[in-house]
Amino acid sequence: MKETILNPILKGNPITVLVLGICSSLAVTVELKGAFVMALSVIAVTGLSSLVCSLLRNTIPNRVRIIVQLVVVALMVILVDQFLKAFEATYAIDKSLSVYIGLIITNCIVMGRIEAFALGNKPVPSLLDGIANGAGYGMILIIVAFFRELLGSGTLFGFQVIPQALYDAGYVNNGLVILPPFALILLGCIIWVHRSIDKSLQEK
Amino acid sequence: MNTNSNTYTVIYTTIVVVIVAAVLAIVSQKLGPMQAANEEAETISQILTAAQFGEKEHWQEIGNAKTIEFFRENISEETKVCSTADLKALNYKIKDGSVKDGELPAYSFKNGVTVVPVYGAGLWGPVWGYIALKEDFQTVAGAYFDHASETPGLGGKIKDDPAFRAQFAGKKVIYDENGPLSIIKGGAPADMENGVDAITGATMTSKGLSNAIATWLKAYEGTITDARKVLEQLAQMAETSNTEEE
Repeated sequence: MKETILNPILKGNPITVLVLGICSSLAVTVELKGAFVMALSVIAVTGLSSLVCSLLRNTIPNRVRIIVQLVVVALMVILVDQFLKAFEATYAIDKSLSVYIGLIITNCIVMGRIEAFALGNKPVPSLLDGIANGAGYGMILIIVAFFRELLGSGTLFGFQVIPQALYDAGYVNNGLVILPPFALILLGCIIWVHRSIDKSLQEK
Repeated sequence: MNTNSNTYTVIYTTIVVVIVAAVLAIVSQKLGPMQAANEEAETISQILTAAQFGEKEHWQEIGNAKTIEFFRENISEETKVCSTADLKALNYKIKDGSVKDGELPAYSFKNGVTVVPVYGAGLWGPVWGYIALKEDFQTVAGAYFDHASETPGLGGKIKDDPAFRAQFAGKKVIYDENGPLSIIKGGAPADMENGVDAITGATMTSKGLSNAIATWLKAYEGTITDARKVLEQLAQMAETSNTEEE
């Protein structure tokens, strides 16, 4: 059980080890707020779709199983999007994430975990596996967003953290940090750090 | 049971799809009004920001209910608030010429400011916004722009950079060969009354927005020139009555 939860966050992290879900992690990490909501949305989607698919696992006809999984995932993604749009507090964030909430459906982590885990395991471990994988994804998202918002906009969660005095002295926000290529560089650095700490991940 | 037979597969998928459709229909029915309210409040806050009643953050802080209340109190005649989807539909009508300018939305406020919407294509998706005209129907009071998917930090600046928006205040809408109100790459000449500077690194977005503004302001040309004529006549009448008194 502990393994199910910890493995996806550290040793089998979907982004840094499995290298899944890269596209959205480049796109939604410009600011922490968006990354945070995106992380929670992905956790909800991976958890719930793994749970539902695990409940249905013995009844799904094998020949159409991918399609059935897709329908379940699509349902969860649309539900998350609808709820985000309905509440005043999350409406503005949903607006700034625009298409990327809808694109969770194409996130390989969701389908990958259903195929690899939920279809062969009981509902409770599947739910935990889904949540943990979503959390492993979200964690990297938040780390990347932290650096991008700090260096690119000088803010964290929208609050100014780099003092005005520094700007007066000639400091400027880095425009490159806001663009997706920098997220890829940052992601590369995170994978580097991760592998140098956990030697078992290094290829011989 | 044989879960691989054709009959089972067809019945199974049918049931799954029907259940999913039912869940989505119920949720969308329940949440629809809340979503529509959020969208309307967002549109209203953009109109109010363009009309210089307050900054965008201010409306977010005071919340939807108070924003809408402020709008209702300050608008001089009740106008249906057009959503972005409505603007998109109107944009097609403007392009094929099937809409008269009297049918286009314009929000006139009690303080004399009139706000007109604009809508068009940016680089990656639609861009839209609101331009507020002062009571002389010529001077721009302010503007606010939004976009669906422009690049953050480049094209996204039409929304996120207050300095870009601020350029519009004090400019004039003039129907001449430079277009009613243009965004000019490389910077507008200092003496140009109806031009503002484009955003560096976002040429396509600036161009798209400039075209959107041109298309829509031209669609309003009749209404705006009529309003200016009325103002002129009023001014003349006031003058003549003054001279008679002497």
